[in-house]
Amino acid sequence: MNSRLSDRAADHVAPIDPAPLLGDWINYDAGSRNIASLTIAQDAEALVLRITGWGEATASPFALTTAGGEALAFRAAYDFGFANIAILAYLNKRLLVVDAYTTFNDDSGRSSYFVRDHFYLR
Amino acid sequence: MRYVRAEDRPPNGDTPPGRVDPAPMLGTWFATDKQALGVVKLELSDRDGAFVVRAFGAATPEPLDWGEVPAIAYAKSVVSAEGMAVSATYDFGFAESLLAAYTKGGILVLDTFNTFKDGSGRSAYFSREFFHR
Repeated sequence: MNSRLSDRAADHVAPIDPAPLLGDWINYDAGSRNIASLTIAQDAEALVLRITGWGEATASPFALTTAGGEALAFRAAYDFGFANIAILAYLNKRLLVVDAYTTFNDDSGRSSYFVRDHFYLR
Repeated sequence: MRYVRAEDRPPNGDTPPGRVDPAPMLGTWFATDKQALGVVKLELSDRDGAFVVRAFGAATPEPLDWGEVPAIAYAKSVVSAEGMAVSATYDFGFAESLLAAYTKGGILVLDTFNTFKDGSGRSAYFSREFFHR
């Protein structure tokens, strides 16, 4: 089944190779009020996202098409109780673009908010 | 007030608004690429105070109507009430798609994160598409 044309099965499917995502990524904006740096590592069978002060989260890699191959994006989620943060990221050439979608579960009245940062590989 | 980065804290003691208004994003958005293979149209609506998304996938002879699902509106900061980004999830049974988009300069940029659950062997894939009203 398909939900759109891009869902169509490829003739050959390769496993997703997370290699392009792996490493220590540093925010280009040293004054960012968001994430300063992050690490993506292969841990046994899982891809792991590490953010200083936040801990680890399982990251899911994504290829460009249903044929698989090199990963160019990942998603992960952090549940802090008072807030949930979805980390959605993709590679644009050698730049890692990281979007954080944050929602608050406490009674602070803070708005859900979106923030984007750009990272380079150390 | 708990936080995990500086961005989570209201600046200068500003009072958070308590709600993000999706109004700036409402309407029908069309893919800028008329040959798009992914999402070709998005309808962002307010249903009696509930923010919803209705997406249409590329197909022949007509686009596939994915139906309406609840959406979350996001502002640009914890003290802004003006919606500028949205997320929603579709569970098709055979696949799941996370839609995440932001608006900028009259354009909506949509990222989709797509995972198959049907054992077809298809790879999870990502797409990035652009829309105008």
